[in-house]
Amino acid sequence: MTAVLEVTNIKKRFGGITAVDGVSFDVREGEILGLIGPNGCGKSTLFNCILGQLTPSDGEVKVDGRAVTGMRPSDLNRLGVSRTFQLLQVFPKLSVRENLILAGQEHQGNMMSRLFGRSDAGLTEAANQMIGFFKLEHLATAQAGGLSYGQQKLLDAAMAFMGGPRLVLLDEPAGGVNPSMLADLKERLVAINRERNATFVVIEHNMEFVMSLCSRVMVMAEGRVLAMGRPDEVRANPAVIDAYLGR
Amino acid sequence: MSANGRYLRLAAGLVVIAALIVIPMNFNRYGLFILSQWAVMTIAAMGLNLTLGYAGQVSLAQGAFVGVGAYASAILTTQGWPLPAALGVSVVVSFAIGWLLGYPALRVQHHYLAFVTLAFSTLAFLVFRNESWLTGGIYGISNIPRPHIFGFATNKPLPFYYLCLGSLAIVSLAVWWLIRSPWGRAFMALRENPLRAQSLGVDTRRYTLMAFAIGSALGGVAGGLYAPLTQYIDPLPFNLSLSLDLLMMVIVGGSGFFFGPFLGAMIAVLLPEWLRFTQGYYLMLYAVAVILLLIWSPTGILGILDRFLANRRTKAASALRAVAKSRLETVQ
Repeated sequence: MTAVLEVTNIKKRFGGITAVDGVSFDVREGEILGLIGPNGCGKSTLFNCILGQLTPSDGEVKVDGRAVTGMRPSDLNRLGVSRTFQLLQVFPKLSVRENLILAGQEHQGNMMSRLFGRSDAGLTEAANQMIGFFKLEHLATAQAGGLSYGQQKLLDAAMAFMGGPRLVLLDEPAGGVNPSMLADLKERLVAINRERNATFVVIEHNMEFVMSLCSRVMVMAEGRVLAMGRPDEVRANPAVIDAYLGR
Repeated sequence: MSANGRYLRLAAGLVVIAALIVIPMNFNRYGLFILSQWAVMTIAAMGLNLTLGYAGQVSLAQGAFVGVGAYASAILTTQGWPLPAALGVSVVVSFAIGWLLGYPALRVQHHYLAFVTLAFSTLAFLVFRNESWLTGGIYGISNIPRPHIFGFATNKPLPFYYLCLGSLAIVSLAVWWLIRSPWGRAFMALRENPLRAQSLGVDTRRYTLMAFAIGSALGGVAGGLYAPLTQYIDPLPFNLSLSLDLLMMVIVGGSGFFFGPFLGAMIAVLLPEWLRFTQGYYLMLYAVAVILLLIWSPTGILGILDRFLANRRTKAASALRAVAKSRLETVQ
């Protein structure tokens, strides 16, 4: 299997603190990789280094074999790498449908065609499909800011898929989502993974969610990779139990 | 929105446009001057509304761009250029300077950005005042001609008012198109969440610069019309207080609403005139009126309307929920 994402020896220092300390891993095409570890172990910083929100102090990131280290997030996104954030990130004053159209529009045409072309960039149909896929039909014209937390989380995830990405990094998609909606979310993620052959990396603290969703799990502690393997292997690893899962 | 509502809005719009064309025919010179000034200031405020209201980039320099446009147009038309060509230069120059002023916005935001633009505003004023070889210094530029448009002379107040109104119509259509386009959506994304916008492929650098440049260009258009309207310009009208006036028009009318600048400019230009009968008190009354409005509705006049509509929607939604709930109870 080919690697969609290759991360080699990424380091990120903030003054005297080394938040990410030489992390290397790769993500194979079509897999769902879980990323777990205690709070403050560098998971989100690692995401930010991979996705260009932060410039790594050292190391290299490759997407489909192409070096993208330090590339701007917007350029990286147009190469097919998408993400969600740990905290809610929707556009509150826009409607649900407008949020989704916005999420896809920069993947259509160029600056000029986006100025003089259709006001929806030809995406109303695709947005409606995504709305249907995430079961948000009754909220299509509602302002995103007025949605419940769980609904906004679904919208947030849906937005990450509008550009038809090859690789999606999800930062705590299940945080604050109720159990029935969580089951929905998992089902949707698995469906997108299968149908569109999209590759995922998921940061999550909900172990049940991670262990049942992911094909491999990477555990981080204090900025380093502590373990990597199948969910059952990781769960049985004494170092992981010590550092994170608890006895 | 229902088809009825759409027709109603269309009809209301046509009535307003007809009124703007017909009623001023009976106005005197002074009335027409004030109304022309309203049209010109609306154009400038629409530019600021784009930069600030839609794209969320604070600017205290819009008045300076009106100045840049006014000087460009005054200098060129007094040299014998036709106004449309001079206006073209006003737009290009203010677009280019606005683009450059956008660069600080890539580094600093909010009140820090306000200070950067404030500094630019002061700089522009000093150039207007001190570079007398170009701008005439404190003596300004006089005898600015009014143009012939398609052979029609606009030196009388009424035709010139129609020129301003026509320009406002063209600018309104262009801005309407812009904010409905994906660019408008990207501007709002800049305002609401630039970090997320970036991760969705929105080139925030380019859109930020564009928001400044286009907003400033509209300031340039307004200035390009202001010069032949007053037929004499000096540096004073383009100092910081014009920028603050324009900012107030945007905020009072409703920042981020398409029709906000129309209302805001109406209040800023017309209200002081209506309050003139109170003589020495009019500025005080005007200030109190604005303060009260903003206490009542911090989102401006159109914010009141928006709140009213949101209320109605919420009531409709809770009614639906109540119906659904009662159904659920009967099922149980």
